[in-house]
Amino acid sequence: MIRGAWYVCATAATLLVAAALSQPPARVEAQPRGKNVYDAHCVECHGDMGRGDGPSAAYVTPRPRDFTSGKYKIRSTESGSVPTDDDLMQSVRQGLYGTSMPAWARILSDAEIADVVTYIKGLSPQFATAPRPVSVGAGVPSSPESIARGQQAYDKLQCGKCHGSDGRGTGAVATTFEDDWRQPLRAADLTEPWTFHGGATARDVYLRFRTGMAGTPMPSFADAASDSEMWDLSNYVVSMARKPVWSMNADEIKAFYGAQAADAKANPVKRGAYLVETLGCVTCHSPVDEQKRMLPGLKLAGGMLLRIVPFGDYPTGNLTSDKATGLGNWSDEEIKRAITKGILRDGTRLLPFPMDYPSYSTMTADDLSAVVAYLRTVPPVTNKVPAPRRTFLPIYLWGKFKMLILGQDPPMVFFPGNAGLTGGR
Amino acid sequence: MKTFLKWAAVIVVVIATLGFLAFLYVIPPFYTTPPEEFGKLMADAPPGVTDIADPVERAIAERGRYIVMTSGCNGCHSVVGSQGPDLSLYLGGGGLKIQTPRATFVSRNLTPDKETGLGRRTDDEVKRVLRSGTFSDGHVVEGSAMPWPVYSNWTEEDLHAVVVYLRHLKPIHHVTPEPVRGRAITISGAIEQDYGGKDYGTSKAEPR
Repeated sequence: MIRGAWYVCATAATLLVAAALSQPPARVEAQPRGKNVYDAHCVECHGDMGRGDGPSAAYVTPRPRDFTSGKYKIRSTESGSVPTDDDLMQSVRQGLYGTSMPAWARILSDAEIADVVTYIKGLSPQFATAPRPVSVGAGVPSSPESIARGQQAYDKLQCGKCHGSDGRGTGAVATTFEDDWRQPLRAADLTEPWTFHGGATARDVYLRFRTGMAGTPMPSFADAASDSEMWDLSNYVVSMARKPVWSMNADEIKAFYGAQAADAKANPVKRGAYLVETLGCVTCHSPVDEQKRMLPGLKLAGGMLLRIVPFGDYPTGNLTSDKATGLGNWSDEEIKRAITKGILRDGTRLLPFPMDYPSYSTMTADDLSAVVAYLRTVPPVTNKVPAPRRTFLPIYLWGKFKMLILGQDPPMVFFPGNAGLTGGR
Repeated sequence: MKTFLKWAAVIVVVIATLGFLAFLYVIPPFYTTPPEEFGKLMADAPPGVTDIADPVERAIAERGRYIVMTSGCNGCHSVVGSQGPDLSLYLGGGGLKIQTPRATFVSRNLTPDKETGLGRRTDDEVKRVLRSGTFSDGHVVEGSAMPWPVYSNWTEEDLHAVVVYLRHLKPIHHVTPEPVRGRAITISGAIEQDYGGKDYGTSKAEPR
């Protein structure tokens, strides 16, 4: 008996020593720990397999990183190289400004962040090769001369082609692009440093020029410009910053909001796109799968089935500009009536919840027109959504009775899948 | 004579019943408030910003008010009974219970009340939830329940305006239950069940 116990102890000790000696990769250890951190905090956006396809991914701009590609925008490594561990840890720690990636520094410990970084590196074979860090020199301190030289470099390197002569897209050849995952991408507004994903110091900006932003049309300028030129350019970009609303005085705010309203009026499609993205139209008017991921190609095409249990089925409408099944044949007034009064083209009345027309009815006339102007430009998607269907009359009346007398509201139930017919598109 | 009365009574009962059923048929489902009035109520609901003394805060909060009002934060974060919205509890939370395959949530109190609202939360914490659904304890709320993925598309300046406005709401003492983790779906095939129409808060609300 004692002998047996001794055997067990000895074997266990030997195994432990062997494991400790033959143990290089902290990675093997860290991966399960990193996976726990990942599963708890990262899945909602980056998806369970790290492909950047979590339930919330399709609604946020820019899209969450696809970790399987090994392509990262925010690096301190040569173009084409994977980022260093420090780069990744820094991005997790401070978050990516101007995106929905939050700062995790006060929520996760450094050890947890290191573990999750090890885990996400394991998701891409690209990390088999070591990163090639760039060496960042002392740099060129900012001065009026450096900024003036930076401005010349800005012209010489044709930054204005995408970012505009003023950094805000004015006069740009194009400001909207697609990234390597075919997702829409806007050229950065260089006057709003609080949106620079990797930070807004001259060093941060320098690194973006120097290393390029992988997966996007922003190239590395390491071959096109000298090191001091890139520093001058960084100093110039930093100097372009405008005053944000939270630093303005009352008069500046008034002027700023006035200019914004004028711009919205002049570019209703742009303003409408912003409103449709932020008012939450996409949340219900795009069908999702069982994991709540938006079905590809059906953004704003409707077809999500909402069942208000005693009252009936209310599949969401197709808001694309398709003539047969979308809003293509609706007049502006009909669209506005549906948004503000919940009355469809054929006179069907919608419920005030979930279609929140009471709230939308408080929009200004300009904003309402902007929403319509944008919806006209949404590419047509054929998706024939069935009309709202009331439940069996006695159940319908019983539901109202309950609501009125017993004061209970019925459950509203969301179903996955597309209730519409895409018609072999 | 007796038979006549009996028949009259039957007819009256039948007409009354039919009338009641017709009444039920005609009233709008969900809320007895007609939709047109509902819109007006919603527009009047958000407290104004005119009594904010600081002109800078006032100008920014006005923008925030417009965004909060049009985005319909009210729809989940206020109690809306079958008679319509309860304006005294504007953004006091408890208006909606959401069940998903992962958890049950009740909408939170967004007023600046120190104990039950956002009073003790920093601006950065509030902004982080609106941008990324991430609370300070590290949990990430599902984007289908609280549509933060669409609010994450607000510009930083609009997000700031929303938070400034929320800071100027009247504090309402109203306890809302914490989320309960675990599968809560009861209807087969569903991905979410929402319940509204009453106060899911756990204490009697009282303005302070």
